[in-house]
Amino acid sequence: MDEKELLARLAGLEEPAVLATIVSAKGSTPRKTGARMLVGAGGVIAGTVGGGCGEGEVIEAALELFRGGSPRTVRVDLTDELVSWSPAVCGGIMDVFIERANPDRFTAS
Amino acid sequence: MNPSPARTAARVLEALGKGERIYTAVVTDAADRSMIGRRWWRSGRRHGGTLGSPSLDAEVAAALPSLFPPRESRGALSRDFEYRDGGREGNARVYIELHGPPARLVIVGAGHIAIPLARLGDMLGLRVEVLDDRADFAAAERFPEAAAVRVIDFRDPFAETPLAPHDHVVLVTRGHSFDYECLIRLLRMPRPPHYVGMIGSRRRVRATHEQLLRDGFTTEEMSRVRAPVGLDLGGQTPVEIAVSVAAEIVMFHSGGSGVPLVEKERVVERFFAHRSPGAATPSRSTTG
Repeated sequence: MDEKELLARLAGLEEPAVLATIVSAKGSTPRKTGARMLVGAGGVIAGTVGGGCGEGEVIEAALELFRGGSPRTVRVDLTDELVSWSPAVCGGIMDVFIERANPDRFTAS
Repeated sequence: MNPSPARTAARVLEALGKGERIYTAVVTDAADRSMIGRRWWRSGRRHGGTLGSPSLDAEVAAALPSLFPPRESRGALSRDFEYRDGGREGNARVYIELHGPPARLVIVGAGHIAIPLARLGDMLGLRVEVLDDRADFAAAERFPEAAAVRVIDFRDPFAETPLAPHDHVVLVTRGHSFDYECLIRLLRMPRPPHYVGMIGSRRRVRATHEQLLRDGFTTEEMSRVRAPVGLDLGGQTPVEIAVSVAAEIVMFHSGGSGVPLVEKERVVERFFAHRSPGAATPSRSTTG
């Protein structure tokens, strides 16, 4: 999914969703600043902020916003994954901003 | 109401559809946590939303030209800014995106003025493209700074150079009939480039305008053309003329007057006119 398709998906969202955006990236992160991912209550809808490398952490943080969490920046440190058994070799640090993509679609919980 | 990411994405798509540049900014961290997630977008003179502080809005807007050179079409970065609104002040981290086509300087006529003008356009951050119908002039090695150098046919000069409203076109061809061919095509575009300049003496520019009137153009359309192009610096050499054109492009973007700062500010006249040797410093009330 290219950037324009993701923007179209974001603009046309029907269901409540959380937007995760890489707002800064240092080192060899799999995706660069500007990469986006949309997360619904049931998981990822579209896009990616790096696949295996730290994405699980971002999805978990995104899901908190369905439970009343505030928008915030999540720092994902991938430098320690260098020694892991994961086939995805990443070695950077990225900041991912997490916010409600369409607050008007969120019902008060 | 704070523009949501979804609504802002719709704005970005709308701007891209029209071939316009758009900036979006969102506060991703701040001591005042109520500002986190506040957002604005800006496209030309239109804008919406706020970062939650008027001075932060202004600081970010003022930084855009230095953060994103106009030749870039896509950008994404985070920067820390300070804001101060009356007694309220602090720091905020802002994530800014640019979407849109690059702003270009299209020079038609690859002669002696085009060479320094291409260099200056590149220094100003514009994407420089040079067009001419002579292959030995429109040669890439003559314009190392240009992103594109094209051999064209003056019967359809912009066939391979689709132009956007935020582009700049400077007509410096070897003959006024060629400049004129380009000019009428530019004026007939549904959304002409915002800066169209044509070189020429007063007499030649007047002849061009007479021809435009005969071809059915209105004086309002004619007045959109900057002819003669450039600021009145008095220079004569190709480099001096290129500086005068580049200076006008800067003025056009920055909203300057083109007047020498010494005349605009009149520091001596305003602050020192009443001061003679040995006299007291004038009171502040006379300095307005």
